[in-house]
Amino acid sequence: MAPDRRTFLKGLGALGAAALVPGCATSTTSSGGGGGSATGEIALQSNLSAEQAKAAMEKLVEAYNKTGGGTVKLNTVASEIFRTQLPTYLTSANPPDVYTWYAGSVANSYAEKDLLLDVTSVWDSMGNYPKSMQTLSTSAAGAKIFVPTSYYWWGMFYRKSNFAKWGVTPPKTWAEFVQVCEKIQAQGIPPIGIGLGDTPWVASAWFDYLNIRINGAPFHRDLLAGKGDFTDPKVKAVFTKWREVLPYFDPKGKSFPFQEATSALLGGKTGMFLIGTFFADSAPKDALDDIDFFQFPIIDPKVPVAEEAPTDGYFASKKAKDPEAVKKFLTYLATPEAQELYVQNSSGTAIPANPDGKAADTPLVAKGKAMVNSAAELTQFFNRDSSDALQPTADAALTKFLDKPDQIDQILEDWQAAASKVFQA
Amino acid sequence: MSNRLKTGGYHLAMGLVSFLWVAPILWVVVISFRSFDDVAANGLGSLPHSFTFSTYVQAWQDADEFRALVNSLLVTIPAVLLSLGLASIAAYGLARYNIPFRRTVLLLMLMGNLLPPQILLIPISRFVELIGYYDTLIALIAVHVGFGLGFYTFVLHGFMRDLPKEIQEAATIDGAGPGKIFASVILPLTRPALAALGALSFTWIFNDLLWSITVIRSGDKMPVTPALLGLQGLFVSSWNVIAAGTVIAAVPTVAVFLKFQKHFVGGLAIGAVK
Repeated sequence: MAPDRRTFLKGLGALGAAALVPGCATSTTSSGGGGGSATGEIALQSNLSAEQAKAAMEKLVEAYNKTGGGTVKLNTVASEIFRTQLPTYLTSANPPDVYTWYAGSVANSYAEKDLLLDVTSVWDSMGNYPKSMQTLSTSAAGAKIFVPTSYYWWGMFYRKSNFAKWGVTPPKTWAEFVQVCEKIQAQGIPPIGIGLGDTPWVASAWFDYLNIRINGAPFHRDLLAGKGDFTDPKVKAVFTKWREVLPYFDPKGKSFPFQEATSALLGGKTGMFLIGTFFADSAPKDALDDIDFFQFPIIDPKVPVAEEAPTDGYFASKKAKDPEAVKKFLTYLATPEAQELYVQNSSGTAIPANPDGKAADTPLVAKGKAMVNSAAELTQFFNRDSSDALQPTADAALTKFLDKPDQIDQILEDWQAAASKVFQA
Repeated sequence: MSNRLKTGGYHLAMGLVSFLWVAPILWVVVISFRSFDDVAANGLGSLPHSFTFSTYVQAWQDADEFRALVNSLLVTIPAVLLSLGLASIAAYGLARYNIPFRRTVLLLMLMGNLLPPQILLIPISRFVELIGYYDTLIALIAVHVGFGLGFYTFVLHGFMRDLPKEIQEAATIDGAGPGKIFASVILPLTRPALAALGALSFTWIFNDLLWSITVIRSGDKMPVTPALLGLQGLFVSSWNVIAAGTVIAAVPTVAVFLKFQKHFVGGLAIGAVK
């Protein structure tokens, strides 16, 4: 009853204000809906609000508008706002046409609600894209709903000068990795950096990697899609392995976010750090030349090697006013030229999704690209392979595990209970 | 002697307490003058190793803070005037005339304020869309007026009720109607309360984030709070630039507060004494 009254009151307020303050209307009536109706203007809603990424998007849109193929209006909103408002955008009566977002199950979940435009025809021009990208961009119903434009990679990052100083070399196998940890520990430095305060999801990278190294990518994907069980002994094996290196984690890592963990790594206060390439944006520029990474160590050589390569790109609303114009724009975004333009102007660690697109010309990016290309399987990241709803259950379970590793059975049971609630919702 | 000691101790203790209150703000100001490389290399908590004004330039340009501030004022000023205007009319009627069920009406208005606004986010976003005002500043003004009305009416009602009956009677004898009494007698007497509420509502509306992101979608219509949020990257944020932007965004509210400070402190006691 009460909400009804409020809504009613709000309605009165809205009508009253509309009638009483026509003076304000002049400043707000231009392109009210967020998309031109019949003008052929496409509204692009972007979450790339960081300084460089935003500038790169502006350049990209400007370049497209110059081709004469159509007009795109870029609207950048803060990533945090975008994340929470995306369902509202998509379900509104007059939604923006094109959105920046992630490939895989997160895109598919919107496709299942029939909110996304079928862009299969755009893919006609994308024959050179690898199979893995195609799979990621296809909905459960078999339609292409996503256009990937760039990806990045995760790795164990370290400072070359520090590794030289400590006399260690990048390990390849788990046993070598443990040795490296011991050596760094002996110098009085916590070997493995992590930053879980405010950014608890960083711990999921460890879970992802241990799981795809021990149990393989298909098992990992099924588990995250709700087709497995977190109390499975195979999942427990992941944590048993994790416990072997738990003493080497930076004890301070629970208190600060990954940005501070980056500072710790660069300052030589930790040895190495499992993180995505985006961390480089929070590093002082003079430290970047000294940064290198190694692949997450191989645990079971029989398991096909998989890597985490979160893929970014675009999808479009089913209610797009001019679907042909939208597809034309998406076709442009899929070209190597467009992706190079974006990658060059943004922070530079993203790799174009189009195999013909050239990535930034640094040894680090070349190494990352080679690692991803040589992988037999690709995964995204925990939330992208499952859903934003499942991520908090992982955060809770993993944080608790890091605190009380001996309670693992109970933690996994709790995790399964929380996850099944998410899957049933 | 012991009195002096007492006074000294009091000032010392209070000085420490106020420092605790001011410290976070000082910290933000300090961060706003540090360079990105300094923050990245030494962390947010360390002492500054650099001094720069470029963060302010960057915040002004990247967040388009001028436009955002204009948007904020375009929303805040009409919303404050409108909600206080409507609330004082409502309070006048409820406090000075024997309207049937006036207590119920007042309680109903207050009840609305007890609801957590979060549960109304989706209804409001849908309703605003339905009436065609989604993504306009008008919608935002309307939401703020709607939400403020209950509380402002309640406070003003308490204040107006305590004005002496004789003033109104005298005005009636002089031939003034209800409208005239309101405009020439009651409203001028309510000024301290209005000034206090005005300063309060200005800060509330100016600092609002939730409603702006609920009813506004275009980046160029966002008020200053979401614009500041826009300075945060997907993964990495330049906290020094955000701090600079925050300092800029705080200027209007601080100015309003300084201007109305006297009324504000006086107005805090409004409605407290029956």
